[in-house]
Amino acid sequence: MVTPQTVCALPIDGLARLMPMHLLLDRDERVVSVGPTLARVLAQMPEHFEVIGARFQDLFEVRSPGGVTHAAEVLARAGNRFRLVPRTGTRAGLRGLGTWLADDGQMLLNLSFGIDLITSVREFALTDADFAATELAMELLYLAEANAAVTRELRGLNLRLEGARLAAEEEAMTDPLTGLRNRRAADSVLERMCANGVPFALLHLDLDYFKAVNDTLGHAAGDQVLENVGRILQEHVRAEDCAARIGGDEFVVIVADRTDPKVLQVIAERIIARVSEPLAFQGTECRVSASVGIVRSVDMVRPDPVRLLAAADRALYAAKHAGRSQAVLLLLPES
Amino acid sequence: MRSRFVEENNPGSEMDALLLRSLQGYVRDTFGLSVWQAICRPGNLSVQTYEPMLRYDPGTADTVAQRAADVLGRQVETVWEDMGTYLVTNPGHEGVRRLLRFGGVSFADFLHSLEEMPGRARLALPDLDLPEITLNELGPDLFDIRCRSRVKGMTRVLVGMLTAMADDYGSLCLIESEEAESIRVRVMENSHGTARRFDLAMPDR
Repeated sequence: MVTPQTVCALPIDGLARLMPMHLLLDRDERVVSVGPTLARVLAQMPEHFEVIGARFQDLFEVRSPGGVTHAAEVLARAGNRFRLVPRTGTRAGLRGLGTWLADDGQMLLNLSFGIDLITSVREFALTDADFAATELAMELLYLAEANAAVTRELRGLNLRLEGARLAAEEEAMTDPLTGLRNRRAADSVLERMCANGVPFALLHLDLDYFKAVNDTLGHAAGDQVLENVGRILQEHVRAEDCAARIGGDEFVVIVADRTDPKVLQVIAERIIARVSEPLAFQGTECRVSASVGIVRSVDMVRPDPVRLLAAADRALYAAKHAGRSQAVLLLLPES
Repeated sequence: MRSRFVEENNPGSEMDALLLRSLQGYVRDTFGLSVWQAICRPGNLSVQTYEPMLRYDPGTADTVAQRAADVLGRQVETVWEDMGTYLVTNPGHEGVRRLLRFGGVSFADFLHSLEEMPGRARLALPDLDLPEITLNELGPDLFDIRCRSRVKGMTRVLVGMLTAMADDYGSLCLIESEEAESIRVRVMENSHGTARRFDLAMPDR
């Protein structure tokens, strides 16, 4: 195929400047001229390999169109778009177009990195000068970096927002005085445990003589007592349990996977014993105690938080009635 | 957490957000967290942390910069200028310097790329209301840059960035802004110092 009209004769350095990735082949498909940027890519051929004069098929593997090895076939089959991989062990492919030149059967191929530009820039340490000013290579690199920067900022924003959300959630679930969970948190734990159907026990704890401490020693003393109870409860729960302050001097402890009445009784009595230990407040001793009502989820057919809390309240009432500093387990809460 | 950022769909300003974030970084890195808190504390600045990817009421950046100037006892123009320099030179913002260096191989090249800057920025942030920049070549080494922006401090930010970029390219320049929205750049020597290295390949993070 011969072009009918020759428009211009291009000096070889002009060709190099306009097409820094060109490959000019003679009719035997041997390299006559190679653009400086493409030369950098091919510089990774084995040592002493001379690119000028080398055969096209020794330099490149044709990836598209398929089943083709010669440049002439590439031009005939692919029209003006093909894909090559240099035989240098690189992973980066090259995209190109080409044409026959007038008269003497020379072929001019112009190659580009295509989407492999970013990896190629790194692999071949390319600079601004390696690209023709008409190419969008700089813009593509710029865009990739700008995008990475925006993504990084967005990831940072997400992390900060997530951190703030977790802190807010934690705050909304915590009783500020004792550091225990609050009523809302206890309700949601109960809700979840009922829904999951895992067996658990609910201890409802109410302080005895707390009002007396508040009345005689003041609210600061009362607060200190509450904080102390908070510490004691915290020490008695495992990670899977939940201790919460649900009212003035009212607490609940949700104990997961414990249903043995004897075990529950021991836990409650241990808490009562610790709470009953005298506490020093500004040189004075303040003494409180605790009554505990216990119910178990397994004693209800379909346990739900409202009925469990009501039953625990009845158990607590029974404990108070029995003379305080007592723990009462209500075995059949609804009978 | 209280935030006065403008929500999606509202015509808040992304430019204000980027400037506020930069100002916050500049003040915190240079003068410390307590100074930044002092700037945010009084009056109606309910936010202490500005997020670069959110939007804030137009004008917020100028207001906060003025507060910073008051607290630091400097001219607001100086605050903006120093912040511009900080953005280019601070290692934590290496990305900014890199994006600017894509503008060209020499400082003159870079100056010529300034007019393209809004277009480039829009590739990544389509809604960014970057300043309108026009460059006039008055003589072989003399340029007049017009910078039109809704943000009052913008010209000064650009002055600070240009000063740092000249240094980055190893070029000796006189950069002045006599009137608002106008910058005069006189390139005295093109390779005065050693230019900082610039690899096209993105550094690994």
